[in-house]
Amino acid sequence: MTDAITATGLVKTFGAKRALDGFDLRVATGEVHGFLGPNGAGKSTTIRVLLGLIRADEGEVTLLGGDPWRDAVALHRRLAYVPGDVTLWPTLSGGESIDLLGRLRGGLDPRRRADLVERFELDTTVKGRAYSKGNRQKVALVAALAADVELLLMDEPTSGLDPLMEALFQEVVREAAADGRTVLLSSHILAEVEALAQRVTIIRAGRTVQTGTLTELRSLTRTTVQVGLRDADGAGAVLAERVHDLRADDGHLTFDVEATALDDVLAALPAHGVTSLVAHPPTLEDLFLRQYSDELDALQVPGR
Amino acid sequence: MTTTAVRPATQGTAGALTGTRPLLRLALRADRWRIVVWALAVAWLTVVSVQSYDDLFGTLAARASRARLIASPAATAMAGPGYGLDDYTIGAMTANELALWIMIPVAIMAVLAVTRHLRQPEEDGRLELVRSAPVGAAAPVVAGLLAAVVGVLAVGATTFVGLLATDLDPVGSALLCASVVVVALVLAGASAVASQLAGHARTASSLGMAAIGVAFVLRAVGDVRGPQSTSVWTWLSPFGWSQATAPYTEDRWWPLAIGLVATAVSVAVAFALAGRRDLGRGLLHERPGRATGRLRGIVGLTWRRQRTSVLSWAVAVVLCGALVGLLADAITDFVADQPTFDELFGGGDPTAGAFALYSVFLAVLAFAYTTTAVGAAHGEELSGRGATLLALPVSRTRWLGAQVGVAAVASAAMLLVAGLVMGLTAAASLGDASRIVPLVGAAAVTIPGVACVLGVAVLVLGLAPRAFVVVWAYVAYVGVMAMFGDILPDGAGAASPFTYLPALPAEPMSWPPVVACTLVGLGALALGIVAFRRRDLQG
Repeated sequence: MTDAITATGLVKTFGAKRALDGFDLRVATGEVHGFLGPNGAGKSTTIRVLLGLIRADEGEVTLLGGDPWRDAVALHRRLAYVPGDVTLWPTLSGGESIDLLGRLRGGLDPRRRADLVERFELDTTVKGRAYSKGNRQKVALVAALAADVELLLMDEPTSGLDPLMEALFQEVVREAAADGRTVLLSSHILAEVEALAQRVTIIRAGRTVQTGTLTELRSLTRTTVQVGLRDADGAGAVLAERVHDLRADDGHLTFDVEATALDDVLAALPAHGVTSLVAHPPTLEDLFLRQYSDELDALQVPGR
Repeated sequence: MTTTAVRPATQGTAGALTGTRPLLRLALRADRWRIVVWALAVAWLTVVSVQSYDDLFGTLAARASRARLIASPAATAMAGPGYGLDDYTIGAMTANELALWIMIPVAIMAVLAVTRHLRQPEEDGRLELVRSAPVGAAAPVVAGLLAAVVGVLAVGATTFVGLLATDLDPVGSALLCASVVVVALVLAGASAVASQLAGHARTASSLGMAAIGVAFVLRAVGDVRGPQSTSVWTWLSPFGWSQATAPYTEDRWWPLAIGLVATAVSVAVAFALAGRRDLGRGLLHERPGRATGRLRGIVGLTWRRQRTSVLSWAVAVVLCGALVGLLADAITDFVADQPTFDELFGGGDPTAGAFALYSVFLAVLAFAYTTTAVGAAHGEELSGRGATLLALPVSRTRWLGAQVGVAAVASAAMLLVAGLVMGLTAAASLGDASRIVPLVGAAAVTIPGVACVLGVAVLVLGLAPRAFVVVWAYVAYVGVMAMFGDILPDGAGAASPFTYLPALPAEPMSWPPVVACTLVGLGALALGIVAFRRRDLQG
């Protein structure tokens, strides 16, 4: 499989602030790639580098086989971009903006445009300055998704959308992926990424802190196990060394366990009489918050 | 029955005006530099103008001849009701000719301040946040209006202090500044009403600007039909009220009462309307737009964005051209009376010299448009709309070039039309059709200056976009050089195109400077585009 995007060692400074500090990213062709990080971690900066709107100070970046800065115009024929905070021309209606963006791209599929306008329930006669945030977002989504492109770069595309539209967005992205398009989906809505992405990259302070498939990432972290035991105290004494956050509650033990210790822990349980067993794989939220556990501490939010 | 301590909802200072004071402080903090710049600029220009009257019209004969010129209908339309023309003192001249041109910018400042404070926060969603705090419904409106009033008073007071440094009578100066303040207050009140009617801040400020335009036309018609405020038309206009005070001659204070009453009434109407509309909506509804678009490219988009601005500036430039043309006979007579004026207009045929100078004024006005157009391109970049387009297969050169191209064509076209109108009106006023071509030429020869201004503007946009104010400074420099270049040291005008361009129709046509200025301008433009291609997009 070829890569739609590869970036290695990206550095971008704005004055004294290092927005990107040796950032790496690899997005395979045809995948939906989740791009996670809180506000200010460098997600938008990365996407602006990928669009050739700004130039990285250091590092290598290849997008669809080209240099995003040098080959910007040629590459932009093959991609579409949805910003997280869409601004429209105040005196142009939404329909006029969609059609202008489509023509500048070299035309868009009128049937797909009509279909998306209908599904997103967008009133295209409203002037840009009169749209709500969610509706401005829909204008950008329709313009991008109606285009016939290989790559979609989306920077928090669903901010301001209601839950129904959010669900529709996920459906539309799945359709795009089924058509073979590559999607880079930056988000801090973890459920959205979990539902759509095959692989994710977590960025923190301008650096990649984790990247891989969701399965790989889950295997790197702890599974939460809740087990009912006839001899809970005995089991607790045995397990204490091998698990984390062990809590005993009326014949039940709840604990987190590393993927590498699962064999050992499960083998030890039958000796104490298992009555019930529930195991949760870590959610993306757990993975994400674990990367940021020290910041949660600093914010005085109890960790998970 | 048990009693519980329930705090009444309206305890303490809760009321419609709660929170006015912190909101006013916030508004003034946001406006402080704007107010300082306006106050100093208006005061400085007023004092400089009065001093130039002193220098130019030192003799009784010069002032009497000026009074004859200014009494002509075309001049009256752009000046005032003509008090004291039979004994045309510097004070009478200031009140008659200058006062209007202090009132207009201060009124514009007031309109912009009111719509900025009353509608912009609402549009940006800031007001929602403010109103969710324990803030009275009327507090943001009151704070916004007060901030505008403080700005207007600051300009009035600074101008008064400046005028104390001149030989003018302090009482007359106080009345003049009070008249300026009152006309600005009336238009601030009108804008407060417009802010409630309009659906958007931009519509509100356009309504306020239109009110200034209507008020200007009413007083122009009135002053032409009946000198010394004797026409009904004059009394329909706030400018008419404030000019009827006749500072330095009649020194009447009572017309200001009309303005103050009108202000109070419009503010009351604004409050009544404010209670009848929802947050974020105006009382006037907006027509829906087209469901599909016909715009094909950046040029079409730029024209769509800019057309209102282009047409407004074109109307201003062309009207100034028409005014110069209509005054042609009066200028000719006046210059014939005043041999010393040969010097002012650079020797040779004094009438031709006057037209050459007026053409440069038209050009500087067109340059101001040119600068706003390039500034608008920078605004597109900062708003994020630039990024939306540049993420499409649209090169930086195409994006910026299309916008600069529209600005260049519009600037050149408005100068040519203004030259043609100036020529036609001058031909009519002098009964001499041979005037037309030279005056079109006089306007056309300033067009290489457009290239120079575009060159400076795009260069700044490419190299140091945050310093865009430099471009305005350059346009101001070109204007000042055109006016005062003769009395400034040699070399001061080295960076102004008009130092090199032939002053048609007073001088013969010479192509090398025209070609050179165009090439220098286009060269700077090209460098600016290269720099823009190489830098990071802002915003």
